[in-house]
Amino acid sequence: MIADLSNLIAAEWLKLSRRPLAWGLLAAFLGLMLLYLSTWALIVALHEGALSGGITRFEVLSDVQIAELKRQLSFPGVFGAVLGQVNSTGGICAIILAAGFLGSDYSWGTLRILLIRAPHRGAYLLAKLVTLLLGLLSAIALALLIGVLLAMVCAATLGLPMQLAARDLLALPLGVARALFVMLPYVMLTMASAILGRSVLAGVGGGLIFLTLDISAGSINTLGDVNPLVRLLVNLLLQPNINTLVVLNGQLFGLDQSVLASSLDLSQLPSPMQATLVVAAGAAAAAPDGLGTP
Amino acid sequence: MTAAIQTEGLTKRYGARVAVDGLSLTVARGEVFGLLGPNGAGKTTTIAMLLGLVAPSAGRASLLGHELGRGPSLALRQVGAMIESPALYPYLSGYDNLRVLARAGGLPEARVPQVIQTVGLAERAHDKARAYSQGMRQRLAIAAALLPDPELIILDEPTNGLDPAGTVEIRDLIRDLAAGGRTILLCSHMLHEVEQLCGRVAILKEGRLIAQGAVDELLRRDSGIRLRVEGDPGRAIALIRELPWVHAVRAEGGLLLIDAPAARVAELNGYLARNEVAVAEIGARERSLESFFLEVTGDR
Repeated sequence: MIADLSNLIAAEWLKLSRRPLAWGLLAAFLGLMLLYLSTWALIVALHEGALSGGITRFEVLSDVQIAELKRQLSFPGVFGAVLGQVNSTGGICAIILAAGFLGSDYSWGTLRILLIRAPHRGAYLLAKLVTLLLGLLSAIALALLIGVLLAMVCAATLGLPMQLAARDLLALPLGVARALFVMLPYVMLTMASAILGRSVLAGVGGGLIFLTLDISAGSINTLGDVNPLVRLLVNLLLQPNINTLVVLNGQLFGLDQSVLASSLDLSQLPSPMQATLVVAAGAAAAAPDGLGTP
Repeated sequence: MTAAIQTEGLTKRYGARVAVDGLSLTVARGEVFGLLGPNGAGKTTTIAMLLGLVAPSAGRASLLGHELGRGPSLALRQVGAMIESPALYPYLSGYDNLRVLARAGGLPEARVPQVIQTVGLAERAHDKARAYSQGMRQRLAIAAALLPDPELIILDEPTNGLDPAGTVEIRDLIRDLAAGGRTILLCSHMLHEVEQLCGRVAILKEGRLIAQGAVDELLRRDSGIRLRVEGDPGRAIALIRELPWVHAVRAEGGLLLIDAPAARVAELNGYLARNEVAVAEIGARERSLESFFLEVTGDR
């Protein structure tokens, strides 16, 4: 079984690493992340008057907000900013990648051929998931590397601090694992949709509809103010629990997301334990239970 | 020695529709066996059941002595298959398509260049599969089937969409594979090709087995007698109609086509000679697999 699984992962990795869709999504994600962080850097530069030698300042944000942006552009906050992007733009890219990765084996008819060679369907699904997570892990590693480079540029041009403590590096595995964990329910539901509809389109549709519904449900968070029972029910939805984990990831690297997102009331979010359990349950509930007829 | 393929009462139902109905089939090791039938006859469903892709509703099947449903992976390790149209990853080269399958099956990647050589794709092996012609796709699919160096090869419409030259090449390839002692189960609409390649065939219609046997025997069975006589055939027809084992006689293009056992050719010849009818030509009526197929499937 383990040998079969490692063979399947090797086969799936070959497919994923050669796939133009994967490289295109990676480029799109890294490009958008760079654009996001560069915009923050530009706002800080304008605020500080760095572009005009201190003569002209554009103070569009408060000093507190600028301080938060500076933390996002320097160590260790840049790690939190990158992982925050992983759980926003990266989530959409992960949905499209997961749909393409599983759905096209149905669309192209290659699933049949694969199952003849490796007929253990459970192992096949597990190999798909593991390979996808390995791919996402590689993308996160690359994004963190770009974040490091950007922080070095910001340190040189904006005079931001450039100190990296060992404990920040040690916190990285936890942050990366948490970012992957947050994406798991969406990836699982996308895979289940691709199997149900036996196509890439069904996977993308299922994943994005779920994402949209989940974010919409998160927006009714204010209903929780009505009474504690409603708050309890709202906090059982996936989105508030995901928010908890994303906020925790920011805090792990010294960030405070509520400074930039005023609607985010940290005191109303579920506890880290509840968030972990609800997201795990969401991922398990969304997990595909088979491949159907190939 | 156990059969390469053995099924007993193999059945597949999709709701009220019966796709395969109690199929009992035996394919001996080393033979080239044709599985024929009109569209929707249940050929592909049968193959899908044999390959463990579809679960049977009833009946049992074994491949190379391994009972299906009880460790199909053991049997499938020695089986190569190409089902319906060639399935491949368009963004990968032909070579990498085969590497994926080799890795997935735990097969040595050293097999990849070997099978590419066997199907004659070496020159284009590193081109993207999306750029392949239909013939090259078929070859790649056959190469994929050959990867495990299989004892049993199942080919579903291997010459589908090929031009005549491509068809001949694939037919020659199948012949070479068969000459190597492998068992081949061939599904094809190209009955001329099946007639040339297969020793035995089974014909399915609406999920049921309606004929099975050696191609020669099937074509000889009830094939009738062909006769040409000197002069007026009217007297010969009258004489022939008197014979109790003749079912019907009809004239067609100067020939008399007699619906009677082909084994009675000599007896008929003697009978006509005794009655002073000069026979110019007599013999068993040759029938193609195509005409036999159309007759038994009721499409003619």
